[in-house]
Amino acid sequence: MLSVGPLFEKYGVYIFLALLFILSSFLSPAFLTAQNLKNVFTPAAALGMVSLGQTFVILTGRGGLDLSVASVMATVTVIASMNTRGQDALLFPVSIVCILFGVLVGLGNGLLITKRRVQPFIATLGMMIIVQGLRFLYSKGAPKGSFPPFLRYLGTGTIGPIPVSVLSFALLLAIAAIVLRKTVFGRQVYTVGGNLEAAIICGYNTDIIIISIYIISGFTAALAGLFLAGWIGVSDNWVGQGYEVDSIAAVVMGGTSFAGGKGGVLGTTAGVMIIATLYNLVLLLHLPLQLQYVVKGAAIILAASFYARKARH
Amino acid sequence: MKKYFYLFVVVAFIGTFLGANANAEERQWDRASLWSPITVKLVDCSQYKKKPPYVIGFSNAGISNSWAVFMHREVQAEAERHPDMIKNLYVTDAKDKADKQINDVEDLMAKGIDLLIIRATTEAALDPVVTRLHKKGFPVITVSKGIKSDNFVSFVDASNIVLGRQNMVWLCEILKGKGNIVMLGGWPGAGSVLDRKAGAEEALSRYPGVKALDYQYTHFSPTEGKTVMQAMIQSYGNKIDGVWCDSGLQGMGALEAMVEAGMNVPITGDQLNGFMVRALKHNFKAVMGAYPPRMGAEAVKLALRVLNGESVPHHFNVPTLVSATDETADIKADIPWNQLAQPGKPDNWWIGHTLPEKWLPY
Repeated sequence: MLSVGPLFEKYGVYIFLALLFILSSFLSPAFLTAQNLKNVFTPAAALGMVSLGQTFVILTGRGGLDLSVASVMATVTVIASMNTRGQDALLFPVSIVCILFGVLVGLGNGLLITKRRVQPFIATLGMMIIVQGLRFLYSKGAPKGSFPPFLRYLGTGTIGPIPVSVLSFALLLAIAAIVLRKTVFGRQVYTVGGNLEAAIICGYNTDIIIISIYIISGFTAALAGLFLAGWIGVSDNWVGQGYEVDSIAAVVMGGTSFAGGKGGVLGTTAGVMIIATLYNLVLLLHLPLQLQYVVKGAAIILAASFYARKARH
Repeated sequence: MKKYFYLFVVVAFIGTFLGANANAEERQWDRASLWSPITVKLVDCSQYKKKPPYVIGFSNAGISNSWAVFMHREVQAEAERHPDMIKNLYVTDAKDKADKQINDVEDLMAKGIDLLIIRATTEAALDPVVTRLHKKGFPVITVSKGIKSDNFVSFVDASNIVLGRQNMVWLCEILKGKGNIVMLGGWPGAGSVLDRKAGAEEALSRYPGVKALDYQYTHFSPTEGKTVMQAMIQSYGNKIDGVWCDSGLQGMGALEAMVEAGMNVPITGDQLNGFMVRALKHNFKAVMGAYPPRMGAEAVKLALRVLNGESVPHHFNVPTLVSATDETADIKADIPWNQLAQPGKPDNWWIGHTLPEKWLPY
């Protein structure tokens, strides 16, 4: 007899996303319109970028997660607005500085976790607080400046009917999928997450792999910060607030398990789309925004409980 | 001769204008207190009289948004203006956590302060500690965010109810008493946000032709303001005739969303420069009720009077400022919108502060 159980476990997130889409278009006629989908997925591209990095981190297992991403995003926003002062000419050099900042934070996380054996939760939590403090010291609490037109274009513009940010995310997604599936580094990431002993026996330099992964997470967070800044157009100390939790939720919903070694970026993308859709649907239905937390929490538990079952078998 | 006459008229006109501005800035009385038919209780402070110089403690709930930063610095700048009276000002930042603030207050007490100024994280959590100090005969001034009970010397604030009410009155009048509006509030559960909402709802009840389609919280975040407004535009479309915001923070986000959607309806907010400049740039009809950060400075001035043993009002409302791009029968601009909005200044600039150059967060 054909059992639907394993099928649902493997493709659960996609089935859930499809059902959510069908349900949403039934519940609200405004949902499945080109403009609404553009509104939903333009900022979701930033969440997608952060979640790609977060996927790499969670894949390494043993409690690997990056809580510092939202803090990096906000700091990058502040650096960008205060240094470009709205000028396109300065965007490229300042963006490099922003990306370097993300990379440095990732390096710090990676070094703490590998060389000092600090739990990822504690290391990235500490880093989140440090980065937040640095941001407030730098901006004195009231960031100034504005964003260059080209950054606004990256955040809000479209090529044909498709938002630039979504295209950029798609490119990043393709790179991440290829890296994970087709390269030696990708195999190493899965091995480190699935079986650390095996990775050590294979002679992998596990420290370098883990450090690289946190650097990737810092990099995607910085990039996401720039895109989100371009979308919102206001320099704010809290751009990206909550993205650390949302990105972890997207990854876990997408089927990457906290145990490590299982999952991938495609599932994460579906997870991101679920989160963005839920947020939008709650608003379209005129329900209190707070309800999205309940719905989101329930969706995470639902998703996670499928994978817990799988792990037991 | 005629030429001189015209010159005189022009000079007189400009003079009146500048004079009017100066008056608006110098006002010591807020209208709510000035026109209030009941008097505020006076507190006899003779028991707190002490010889200067003083040591004052300021326990701030947090400095996580630019308004709080300006207000925090208003306290520091004002203390610096009285070097002979204030020997030391100790400040703490509770990072918006009530438990940390309770510890902060105890730390300040251990440092031997003569008076405590506090901006409480929540009304309920800080009530016991402030009440205990008050019962012991120690002077406490609350500012901007007060406590639940009456156990303090004075509460320095600007009326959030007035802000919410006058924004709504303007919106209903500009819509000529007919239309649909959406409402974007700040933090769920915060006292100031509840007060602004209550004031708005009271005003709205007088306009049966104006209907509030939806109320959503935005956590005073421009990002959430934009996301929420976009969803509202999607679901209500052209049915939206006006947007009520209780702050310019989410107001900036709502404006961004409307500009992108090619929508232009009247909007309300506060004196945040980014909000005022965006409304001006994109030709929106807008109103702002100011919630002035200078209440920090007023709290310090009041503290000196308390320690001098004078009688002070139990509730001290700092004068606010109203401005609108378009005036209505009940809402007139104290200062014209285009004079207040400063395109050259940052979005996070709070108009109407009294900070000297060296204390500006730039």
